[in-house]
Amino acid sequence: MDSNIVGVWIAAFLTLGIMSFLYKDNPWYKFSEAIFVGLSAGYWFASLFWQSLHAKFWTNWSPAVQSLFQGQFDYNLLYTGAGILGLMMLLRLVPPIGWISRWPLSVVVGGTAGLYLINYLVSNAIRQIGSTIQPAVTFPESIGWVQSGGVIIGNVLVFAVLLVSLGFILFGRSSTIDLPTPTKLFFFLIALVACGLGTFYSLSMPLNLTGLIIFMGVFCGLIYFFFSKEHTGFFGGAATVGTWFLMVTFGASFGYTVMSRMSLLIGRIDFLLVEWLKVVK
Amino acid sequence: MCGLFCVWKMLKLKVAIFTLLFLLLSCFSAVAQTEEEISDTTASEEPSYRIPKLAPVTNLEVQDSPDDAGGEIELTWKLSADDTEDNGLVSKYVILRSQNRTSDFHIVGVANHQDTSYIDKGTQDGTEYYYKVVTFPKYEGEVRLTREEIDPLMDEFPEFTELGIKDVSMLAEYDRNLAAAFIDEILGISAVAGPVKSSAQWFNSKDLDTFIIGLVICTSVVIFIGLARGGRKLFLRRIGGLQAIENAIGRATEMGKSILFIPGIQDMDDVQTVAGITILGRIAKTIAEYDTKINMPVSRSIVMTTARETIKEAYLSAGRPDAYSDDMVHYITDEQFGYVAAVDGIMVREKPATCFYLGAFFAESLIMAETGNSIGAIQIAGTAMPAQLPFFVAACDYTLIGEELFAASAYLSGEPKQLGSLKGQDVGKVIAMVFIIVGTAFATLAAVTGSETFLEITNMIKSWFSA
Amino acid sequence: MWRRTVPIMITFFVGTVLVVAEFIPHKPFGNLGEDFSLYFDIIAVFAFILGGGNLCRVHFSKIYRGKTDWQFSIVTLLGFFVMLAAGLFKIGNPMGIQGDVTAAGSLFADLYDSIFTPLQGTMYALLAFFVASASYRAFRAKNIDASILLIAAFVILLGRTPAPSLIADFFAGAGIGFMATAFNFVPTLTDWIMDVPNLAGQRAILIGIALGVISMALRLILGVERTYLGADSK
Repeated sequence: MDSNIVGVWIAAFLTLGIMSFLYKDNPWYKFSEAIFVGLSAGYWFASLFWQSLHAKFWTNWSPAVQSLFQGQFDYNLLYTGAGILGLMMLLRLVPPIGWISRWPLSVVVGGTAGLYLINYLVSNAIRQIGSTIQPAVTFPESIGWVQSGGVIIGNVLVFAVLLVSLGFILFGRSSTIDLPTPTKLFFFLIALVACGLGTFYSLSMPLNLTGLIIFMGVFCGLIYFFFSKEHTGFFGGAATVGTWFLMVTFGASFGYTVMSRMSLLIGRIDFLLVEWLKVVK
Repeated sequence: MCGLFCVWKMLKLKVAIFTLLFLLLSCFSAVAQTEEEISDTTASEEPSYRIPKLAPVTNLEVQDSPDDAGGEIELTWKLSADDTEDNGLVSKYVILRSQNRTSDFHIVGVANHQDTSYIDKGTQDGTEYYYKVVTFPKYEGEVRLTREEIDPLMDEFPEFTELGIKDVSMLAEYDRNLAAAFIDEILGISAVAGPVKSSAQWFNSKDLDTFIIGLVICTSVVIFIGLARGGRKLFLRRIGGLQAIENAIGRATEMGKSILFIPGIQDMDDVQTVAGITILGRIAKTIAEYDTKINMPVSRSIVMTTARETIKEAYLSAGRPDAYSDDMVHYITDEQFGYVAAVDGIMVREKPATCFYLGAFFAESLIMAETGNSIGAIQIAGTAMPAQLPFFVAACDYTLIGEELFAASAYLSGEPKQLGSLKGQDVGKVIAMVFIIVGTAFATLAAVTGSETFLEITNMIKSWFSA
Repeated sequence: MWRRTVPIMITFFVGTVLVVAEFIPHKPFGNLGEDFSLYFDIIAVFAFILGGGNLCRVHFSKIYRGKTDWQFSIVTLLGFFVMLAAGLFKIGNPMGIQGDVTAAGSLFADLYDSIFTPLQGTMYALLAFFVASASYRAFRAKNIDASILLIAAFVILLGRTPAPSLIADFFAGAGIGFMATAFNFVPTLTDWIMDVPNLAGQRAILIGIALGVISMALRLILGVERTYLGADSK
């Protein structure tokens, strides 16, 4: 019981120490930081020692060596390799042959390269391309106003984005389309009428353009990442639309995270008020 | 408490208002959630107890699992006639295995109702096995077995324990005499299937599509590396964040302040860390030429040794090996927030003019970037962690987004073969775009016209990307 | 040769084998990926001796030379060695040296609970303030990209709370039907942003990252990128 109270007081002292950083750097924070760094480094090494070196290496390797003396080959004997690589890493401490530590490093980097190549190819590239392949337009049986609110916003947005992108391409500063202004205006007018009609149609008839928006987003996003071509003209317009999509994505995950970060703070305040000061029961 | 209040008071008022606002909102959500939880408890009444006799599964087929490392056998069957989608009478299918056709069947697994397949993952390659499937009814009564009744059953069928089913009442509650159920065929027992042997394969034929797509992309990268090496001039557009790097280093030099480099908090077994280190190699050379100080706290030991080698090489090739010191790179702790606490301390005490954050980041990204912002440092970040990108975009001057992080070192190297690989990457993008366009076109045609042919083509294209 | 060529050959060999192994289910290739991460974990423990050694060296020299804030270096070293001893020798572990290193009741677990956890939690909780200050900065940004980011963030933030329906109720009560409808619409809009433009942007980023990783990995495997290996001479 007593040790528990001491623990709570230490925890409270350190909690406030870290929080004091928000005011400015001060000895209280420096103390909390120093103890955090030292303690956590010790924590990690002790955990790694028991959970990696002992549990993964020693318990597999030592029986394998014993059985080798009895004339049997155990698959786990291959752990010797890991041990040797680990020791090679330590040769860094012996400057004349420190370069040997590059060998285990090469194993690590080579392995990482190989694994990531395949994993990202499958999970990021192939799967994402596959799930993007969807009908751009569908005609659902019926859409009620309220449920389809998102769909309708989307439809209107598609036309708006199309129009704005066209504007960029025709009149943007980096536009490379070399036409007289009246011709450009004419094209833009046609697009305006078409988009207006489309909007009108999509408001009165069941039409779902969700697929088209996703398609546009992925397509323009990829164009943004394109290295081989300057972002001018059509390309520049598409890349700009791409950045808009990226910004929505960033904004969405930003907004999504804010609340969970606030709950962390509530957690700490809860500790101070309930567990430490016992102000609130 | 006083300390907290003091902190609160001293904070920028506007930031405080924002925090308060957000806190208020999260309290709202918490309250709303508890309300939901309370209102969502309705009890349902259970009908009376009976044991139905069920139809067994039919067409039980067994085969060696294809494309595996061995040790697996795949079972497929047609559902029991009593296992209908709504109001079906079946709850589980119990899989039994033996090494002879007539006796010694043991439980090896349980499949749910409506399942038509099961993979037995505990077979010995080369051994012949026989299988049968037992159909279990749904529990429809209030009679449950007591502990005294369950324990002997568990003794009789130790397989349940091995399967991780701690309490047989899940199955046993259907019948007071489970053993009898197996023997007397109260339950629906299928015909025996087999024999079958499991074996390992040398190529995973399911991955053929992945293999081909990967091969195409990799080949295009390799071809462009080759072309560039052969002297072909390749055009690449400029990337804003990279242009800014030299200016940022120059600024630190002019101000006589140090440069802080954070390679993320992952080890060398994360390709983002490797990307960060390769960029470090290029930046360190400029730093050496400008004779600026670099400070690189790291959270992993292997990253520390690698970064030292990299910086040393950069100083050497800049012709200033004597200016290099091992102290430029120092280890702090593996612990994420311990590391951040120390980095924040370094920032406010040393006030570096420029901060680089290039690598894999998690929640600490914003803590560091905001602290860097408060000391007025120029900040250049780059990560492929989608969840952290928004925070870097909001708090840093330049952010290398995802792919740009990996391209940066190739860009900065200026070596033709490195630049060639970026071209190859673009070919990959074109391939992706072409498949997306073609696939979407066919999918749309299928949706608009309702044509079966278009649908088949769409599904074929989709299947290539279903790995 | 031994310093430069061999490492590059090792990278090439290990990288290629791991790529190819992905397509071979047969032993020993089937779980080579897991074997690799096991190998890595073991190498990392050995390497920690370098990191931990560096930590001690830095702080000892700080104390020895009496640099600014050298007192705190004592705290760091004390924390390090106490925790290390508590963990390695399992001091106070109810099960003795055979017990789990994190077993409740041991000094290691006690230090973890009363020092490590609150420090970690508080550092993490500081994010609340930093998120607020970042939002405030985004709020002031004047270019179109930042505005899009801000609007999306704001809608999602609102949509994740019951605030819109409360505000809508208020407007409905005040008889302003138009505003009530608008606020009732926020959750729909939130879902739409998450499921449509957010998803599209997410996919573009992911596909880009994949291509970046593939190209980077090939540069490493083929030895085109060799910065990480360091200097040619000693």
